[in-house]
Amino acid sequence: MAYQLYRNTTLGNSLQESLDELIQTQQITPQLALQVLLQFDKAINTALANRVRNRVNFKGSLNTYRFCDNVWTFVLNDVEFREVTDLVKVDKVKIVACDGKKTAFETDVV
Amino acid sequence: MASSANSNPVPKLYRSVIEDVINEVRELFLDEGVDEQVLMELKTLWENKLMQSKAVEGFHTEEQAALQAAAHQQAQQATQQAQAQQVLLPPQQQVTSWQSTRPTVTSAPQQQVIVQDPKILQHMSATGMSAAATAATLALPTGVSPYHQLITSQGQILQFVRAANGAQYIIQPQQQMVLQQQVLPQMQPGGVQAPVIQQVRPITQVLAPLQGGHPQQTGVIIQPQQIVLTGNKVQQNAQVMQMPGQPGQVQQIQQQVQQVQQAQGGAAPGPPQQQAKQQPPMMLQVDGAGDTSSEDEDEEEEEYDEDEDEDKDKDGGEDGQVEEEPLNSEDDVSDEEDQELFDTENVVVCQYDKIHRSKNKWKFHLKDGIMNLNGRDYVFSKAIGDAEW
Repeated sequence: MAYQLYRNTTLGNSLQESLDELIQTQQITPQLALQVLLQFDKAINTALANRVRNRVNFKGSLNTYRFCDNVWTFVLNDVEFREVTDLVKVDKVKIVACDGKKTAFETDVV
Repeated sequence: MASSANSNPVPKLYRSVIEDVINEVRELFLDEGVDEQVLMELKTLWENKLMQSKAVEGFHTEEQAALQAAAHQQAQQATQQAQAQQVLLPPQQQVTSWQSTRPTVTSAPQQQVIVQDPKILQHMSATGMSAAATAATLALPTGVSPYHQLITSQGQILQFVRAANGAQYIIQPQQQMVLQQQVLPQMQPGGVQAPVIQQVRPITQVLAPLQGGHPQQTGVIIQPQQIVLTGNKVQQNAQVMQMPGQPGQVQQIQQQVQQVQQAQGGAAPGPPQQQAKQQPPMMLQVDGAGDTSSEDEDEEEEEYDEDEDEDKDKDGGEDGQVEEEPLNSEDDVSDEEDQELFDTENVVVCQYDKIHRSKNKWKFHLKDGIMNLNGRDYVFSKAIGDAEW
């Protein structure tokens, strides 16, 4: 199993919505939809780890921080995200980060 | 390509993820006995939602641009371009219909049809026209070839055709909405049957010139399909324009109207329902049965409302304070909750390598993240950040 962290992204939410539509029209079962989501988790984790190769820097002010169940949640204000190509500024951003250590996650697998 | 180094990696990444997921779950679908078509539908839904979110740039633009162009030709052309070219269509279709040998223009854009019209006109004048065409043209004042005039200028048809008996057929593109209301096909009873002009698929305007043994009876019916193109509000005029004295023609018009409306997804439920009454049920109504279902719905709604009212009365009588308590609770100040209710909250979902803090200076070492900032998606393999708390 891989992190289900990425389900709340544009890609993940659109998949979940599509699956919900198919469930409502009873074209697939909820169980099958869950299997699809699990497969999505694997695919997105693998893709991010292997197919993405870029760095981003950011700077801002920290509003809140939370560490619970090995998950960090930050809320930053007035943040600048800088990549080589461009710069993005936002007034507020929420960062949710799971433990990046591979072993840490797999030990939690039930 | 010099710009390849700066290309956005997000669309490719998303596309590869979609492909991977779809391929991996294909087996799962087959094991469950779900048809492959459902899998394709899932993929289509997924991709469409991604496109609609506009969070990804250039996502499937090339592939779906062609598909959307073909799919939207019927819809968008009918709606957007109709207003500019609506008037052009009647003469075009008249021409196409009168020449039965001419193949119907299907998915060709309207402009192309316009181009073809001059040729058609020449052909028409050269060859013999059908009885309907000849009758209609005879009814029109001699020397007047409305269709020639109509087609000369795209988007600016200012021809005014006056029939022998005073029936007027005004075509002015700038006043399309108004024109259609003003154009009154003066159909006179007497068994006049107008030839049915077959529809062009993307084009929904059809004109049915009068035919028959009353040369003095002239008039051009702007069938409701034209009105459908401009919008639902104009459809109401269609009924006005259908003279009751000619049921045959009306039926034909209704058929075409229903076909058009079905092609467009069944726009106004009103006119087609009323037209269906006059017409034998030949086409399925997208909006379903007319009168009976609406009556049932109203009854159900009434019952539901009554139940609601009863419940509200009970609650209001017993707990007058219940309404006050929620009001008091609104006095609480909760900044975080208000901020979290933002529509496009910028979110970064990632994994952390190391989080470090020194006094109030925080350092973040993150990896494998997907960001949604200002509505757009970004990805990173590594992110390093500083923040002061």
